[in-house]
Amino acid sequence: MTIRTVSRAFAIAVIALGAALPAAAQKKGGTLTYTFHPEPTAMSTISTTAVPVSLVASKIYESLLEYEGPGMKPLPGLAESWTVSKDNLAYTFKLRKGVTWHDGKPFTSADVKFSIEKVVTPFHSRGKTYFGQVSAIETPDAHTVVFRLKSPVPYFLRDFQASESPIMPMHGFTADEIKEGKFRSAKIMQAPVGTGPFKLKEWKKGSHVILERHPGYWKAGKPYLDQVVLRVIPDGAARAIAIEKGEVDLAPMSALPPAEAQRLGKLPAITASQDGNEGLGPIMWLEVNNRSKPLADVAVRQAISLAIDRKRLVDVIWYGQGKPASGPIVSGNPNHFDRKLKPLEYNVDKANKLLDAAGYKRGKDGVRFKLTQNFLPYGEEWVRQAEFIKQELRKVGIAVETQSLDMGGWLKRIYTDWNYDFTSNFTHNYPDPTIGVQRAFISTNIKRGATFSNSMDYANEKLDALFVKAAQTADGPARNKVWEEIQAILRNDLPVIFLMEISYTHVWNKRVHGLITNGVSMYSNWDSVWVD
Amino acid sequence: MRGGTVRFVLRRLAQLVPVVLAIAALNFALAKLAPGDAADILAGQMGHATLEFTEQLRREFGLDLPILEQFLAYMGRTARLDLGISLIQQQPVAELIADRLPATLLLMVTALVLAIATGVALGVAAARRQGTWVDNLISVSALLVYATPAFWLGLMLIVFFSIRLDLLPSGGMMRIGVAQTALGQVLDVARHLILPAATLGLFYAAVYARLMRASMLEVYGLDFITTARAKGLSEGTIAWTHALRNALLPVVTLAGMQVGHLLGGSVLIETVFGWPGLGRLVFDALVQRDLNLLLGILFVSSIVVVLVNLAVDLVYGFLDPRITHK
Repeated sequence: MTIRTVSRAFAIAVIALGAALPAAAQKKGGTLTYTFHPEPTAMSTISTTAVPVSLVASKIYESLLEYEGPGMKPLPGLAESWTVSKDNLAYTFKLRKGVTWHDGKPFTSADVKFSIEKVVTPFHSRGKTYFGQVSAIETPDAHTVVFRLKSPVPYFLRDFQASESPIMPMHGFTADEIKEGKFRSAKIMQAPVGTGPFKLKEWKKGSHVILERHPGYWKAGKPYLDQVVLRVIPDGAARAIAIEKGEVDLAPMSALPPAEAQRLGKLPAITASQDGNEGLGPIMWLEVNNRSKPLADVAVRQAISLAIDRKRLVDVIWYGQGKPASGPIVSGNPNHFDRKLKPLEYNVDKANKLLDAAGYKRGKDGVRFKLTQNFLPYGEEWVRQAEFIKQELRKVGIAVETQSLDMGGWLKRIYTDWNYDFTSNFTHNYPDPTIGVQRAFISTNIKRGATFSNSMDYANEKLDALFVKAAQTADGPARNKVWEEIQAILRNDLPVIFLMEISYTHVWNKRVHGLITNGVSMYSNWDSVWVD
Repeated sequence: MRGGTVRFVLRRLAQLVPVVLAIAALNFALAKLAPGDAADILAGQMGHATLEFTEQLRREFGLDLPILEQFLAYMGRTARLDLGISLIQQQPVAELIADRLPATLLLMVTALVLAIATGVALGVAAARRQGTWVDNLISVSALLVYATPAFWLGLMLIVFFSIRLDLLPSGGMMRIGVAQTALGQVLDVARHLILPAATLGLFYAAVYARLMRASMLEVYGLDFITTARAKGLSEGTIAWTHALRNALLPVVTLAGMQVGHLLGGSVLIETVFGWPGLGRLVFDALVQRDLNLLLGILFVSSIVVVLVNLAVDLVYGFLDPRITHK
């Protein structure tokens, strides 16, 4: 049995247990300590949505909705109910009464309007993607908010996650900060005031963050935990030791090196799981510069795809922490992934024949042509993956030279200079493929200097039209058909070589319960998490 | 302090100003040579940021201005000792450094004291028993420790003392979220300090032991030692009272020069032990192209190094009264 199946069985058991047992089984009190590195630079995702900030801020701030299961079914949150107009152009949210901020002041519709209009839309990195179609936000009374849209947004109800659209207190910003638009450097970024189940107690930079229970939290009896503590441990091996010793309960979001996650996952007291990431949909590919021969030739890209043994890549380089990719959408996405798709084929003979037929003959040294590869500077696995890719491509007569750059250099070379042949890359589907997939492949996003954009120079009019259609069609079978077409085109054209659903591994001590609740479990507020 | 020494200190302090400013200018040029900037990094980190968003960040950070304008603004600020605001963290750089500097200084000073005390004692012991098994043992051990990578040594110490024996914590600077008395806190920090200080100190102890041994042997060959022996002084008195003071000068020189090196070495140690010091901050600032933070840390470190070297010059006079400061 693999870690994945064990962990899935465990997760199902936990959920089943949670549903079957009376609330008394869940113990109140105690502390959950997790570790991550780097440490957060702020306590709000308005400052940056980087993983360490999203992890901690999602316990402090809430949004209008909460979500359930891998499909991210919307549930009431700060809004206790909502209605959608027939034309899908007006969303009316009824806000919960009696909710207070951590400083005791009441939460009202003015906070929602202020947060979305003044803070999230202009300053959150995905704010304009989520709310760019909003024409007006009306607040007929203190507990009603109406969003009016210029055109339908099929994923609108998935916009209201705590880390994506945090609702912040209008009174938490000074008049000067608001007037000068200094939201990212506002004092509240370091001293947060939210409505969430936990509030900041202590932040010792470089060492730890302590969050404590918000006694006035609106959910009766929640949260179960007294404290959530983040311990900053910069070294991966030291993080693993802390988990093994029981000094730390949880290492979320691949905080441990893959080899350590695999090793610790086999210990009786510890669980390693990749569930709870479906709403993020992390995926890894080889980004290919389509601008010049030979990579402009689709047969060459298809041959490269055929030459890579993805199963070995997953098992050997990544210690089983993921699965071979089938296309641009991760298979864990229950709504939009085309279930008929199989992982991409591995067939060295076919790759060689394709390259022969395309006219790339081997020279005396067995080499057809040379390419340069870069890799994401995220750690040693990425270096080893680059070595692996080099070996695989050598089998079909492609000689590869590897270049190493740090993050600043890598971003500039790939997205500003466009000066590369191919590079490993890692991105997210996010809660909807219109948000996460479209931007990498639509031709309108071939923009010099835009990070994680269409650096490949891939332009396909038919695909562009399909993306536009998917963005305007309400979620359901008709929209899924569009996504199926998009997946088929990208699997054939291969503007990038889809490698692996890399996923995030979360490793925790079995004294912790109730962590996996939805598709963004680590960015959920953990109000129902409890410890033995 | 004599008048000559006071004048010497004042003159050296005045000389520091152009030196530190020149270092600051060089740092700026080096930092700007690296490709990419903080706006790219932050937008990249956040994922799926639009081009407009990246450009908005660049304007906020002042990175869209001509490079000469950025340089003049930076030098002007630095001359006023204003370190600016961290681009990524959006907090005053001085505050970020002040948060971390005490932890790094505690680790460095402890390691240095440990290294000098151990190194000097072992060096003297080896020199006094030159050619015996004691000398060989000390010399070979020093060579082994010197050749061992510090991060590996640190991990091995964790495995042994923390996991096997369960005697010491594996990392961090204190227990978190536990109410303690003031004395309890001091003892708690001391417990957490043992392994990182030992790891950092051992490497330098090995260096000093080898240097001290060589230096002592050289002093042993001088005439005044022969005179002391002829006077009938005990070997212990000769070693600790007469030879040591003379033999210490090279060790003091090296220790002073190595303070900058020690700051660099603490990056690895702080990483392995999760010690909340400057080391990790400088690494993150570099990787994230947080220009203001990086330059601020380099500026403060250069002041520390220059001041320590001044202190070393003063210690010379104390060790060897023939050296005067003019």
